[in-house]
Amino acid sequence: MLKSGLLFLLLSFSGCAALLFRDIEQQSTTRNYDYTKYHNMSEISAWMEQIVKENPGVVTSQTYGKTFEGRDITLLKISVANPDGKEKKAVWMDCGIHAREWIAPAFCQWFVREVLQTYRTDEKMKEMVQNLDFYVTPVLNIDGYVYTWINETTRLWRKSRSPPPANCTCYGVDLNRNFNANWGTVGVSTDCCSNTYCGESPASEKEAQAVTEFVKNRTKEIICFLTIHSYGQQVLLPYGHPQIMAPNHAELLEAGTGAAKAMTAVHKQEYEAGTPPEILYEFSGSSKDWARLAGIPFSYTFELRDKNEFGFLLPEDQIQPACQEAYAGARHIITYAHDKFFTDSNNAGAVSASITLWVTALTSYLITYVLE
Amino acid sequence: MNWFCFVWTVLFSMVWQCPAAPSTPSPTAPGSTAQDEVECPSNCVLLIYSNRSTSEAQDPLVMTSTELNPDHYEAQRAAHAVRYYLNTLYGTPFRQLSFSKVHQARTEDLGEAGMKYLLEISVKDSLNKSSEKLCSAEVVYPRGETQQPPKVQISCAASLQLNTSAEEEDFYKRYSAADSAVSGKDIPDSYGHVDPEMVPFWKLAGVASTFIMLNESNENTLYNLAQVAKITQLESQNGQLRLEYVVLLHDMISQVIIIACITTSDD
Repeated sequence: MLKSGLLFLLLSFSGCAALLFRDIEQQSTTRNYDYTKYHNMSEISAWMEQIVKENPGVVTSQTYGKTFEGRDITLLKISVANPDGKEKKAVWMDCGIHAREWIAPAFCQWFVREVLQTYRTDEKMKEMVQNLDFYVTPVLNIDGYVYTWINETTRLWRKSRSPPPANCTCYGVDLNRNFNANWGTVGVSTDCCSNTYCGESPASEKEAQAVTEFVKNRTKEIICFLTIHSYGQQVLLPYGHPQIMAPNHAELLEAGTGAAKAMTAVHKQEYEAGTPPEILYEFSGSSKDWARLAGIPFSYTFELRDKNEFGFLLPEDQIQPACQEAYAGARHIITYAHDKFFTDSNNAGAVSASITLWVTALTSYLITYVLE
Repeated sequence: MNWFCFVWTVLFSMVWQCPAAPSTPSPTAPGSTAQDEVECPSNCVLLIYSNRSTSEAQDPLVMTSTELNPDHYEAQRAAHAVRYYLNTLYGTPFRQLSFSKVHQARTEDLGEAGMKYLLEISVKDSLNKSSEKLCSAEVVYPRGETQQPPKVQISCAASLQLNTSAEEEDFYKRYSAADSAVSGKDIPDSYGHVDPEMVPFWKLAGVASTFIMLNESNENTLYNLAQVAKITQLESQNGQLRLEYVVLLHDMISQVIIIACITTSDD
């Protein structure tokens, strides 16, 4: 009996130790996660699970679609309760719509970490997370991203991995030409072998459908849509089509220019802001154009480092400075959008107060003279 | 060996003008499939470039002139053509030129003769990052159905000519030795890493690529070197350093990746 008792104790202790050890291992996982290295898709998925576990009540994950090859497209939602129970707005960010632009998924992970590390201590971030939820998709074109990790010959893949249409032989559609925004009109190819092939029809690609479905049901909620690319060091505002201009072009330009300035200030690397037909090339079917057309006021494409030395093959020792710059730019636009929606309501309060004052003054003036 | 004049004879063949590799069932455009191991076949079209000669007389009749926003794409693309041109003249494994800013830009439509871009730009030198040189450049893109290279000329406040550096001399001495057999692939690698010893070869690939990029430039292109797929040292002839490159060039506008073979030798 003593022996079985001892055995029981031993098993319990080792069981506890095992559980404790596993908890420690799990808890230390994202603390040890290297944000300055490129991670493959299974590492990113594991990181996402870990982030959810480590931030209960703040971070949840949501699968909102499937890729062509059947993989789950998942986002992280960062949401802190509003203390007054006020209605919240949201920010959308997606990375890796083009498979070879590895710095983009690296930035989405960096962004999530930055928000989670600062939302309790940074005054402005604290205020913003009470009013804004964040929807972050670290890798949108998962099939393409996985493909670029196979070996060196696949590293420069750009498109999705859907099969060719009839009478053509090449795989993939350029997801950033596939959205239903002046689809197929400019800056696209109808040749399925082209890297700017726009697909057989608007949102023919499952990845574009996933974004479209999720966002179109939330166009009143989402005030800021940021889609992250490389390279070129630019902040692009709608539209890619040269003959249309967004109704709020002036404020898009103001916020975008401010973002480019903020990004330039971090490490003295030049970033510029403008519409694609001005500073890059005209093209249609982009996700940022679709988002603006769907009613989301602040919609941008970010092109991260570098200018042309390494291009898509940005060295890992540049991940940190590139992400610091991108964060400065994203934060600038998010702050601009936030203050427009949440500080203007305070101003509206001030306006109604002053109206009340004038009405009161006018009334007392009239009463004085009428009664006289 | 004449490094001072920076004359590079670049023998170049465009792989995608070559017959399709036997393993591919049907022809596919570059960038659509993973590029297989590329050998530089001898039956490809051979194009020979030497360093650029300075331009010929311009049409004296000035047609319509339009001021351009120097930050917008038209002026920027023309400035890249100037960048390629400068590197065909002065680029070495240890020195590359680029531009930091376009200050002013305008076009002159020369009618049949083409479209002329006049630029005021600041030229950056990788050897002397702190001082930039103000230059006036002209780029004339010819009109026509087929691709023809733009003609570039440039004059700067101060000369861009430099003496051969000790670094370049050492590099040449070291690698033109009879037993030298440099080789490499995927530079930079997927993670952006370049082995320090391979950096000059990577930079040299960039300079050699500017010959092709200039030749293939028009108002709708913007080329950069994406990656060196392969480098092989060829047998030295007459003490020359001879290298064979397979390079991947990225056109920002069409997003295509072009595979090109380049053979370099100093002359």
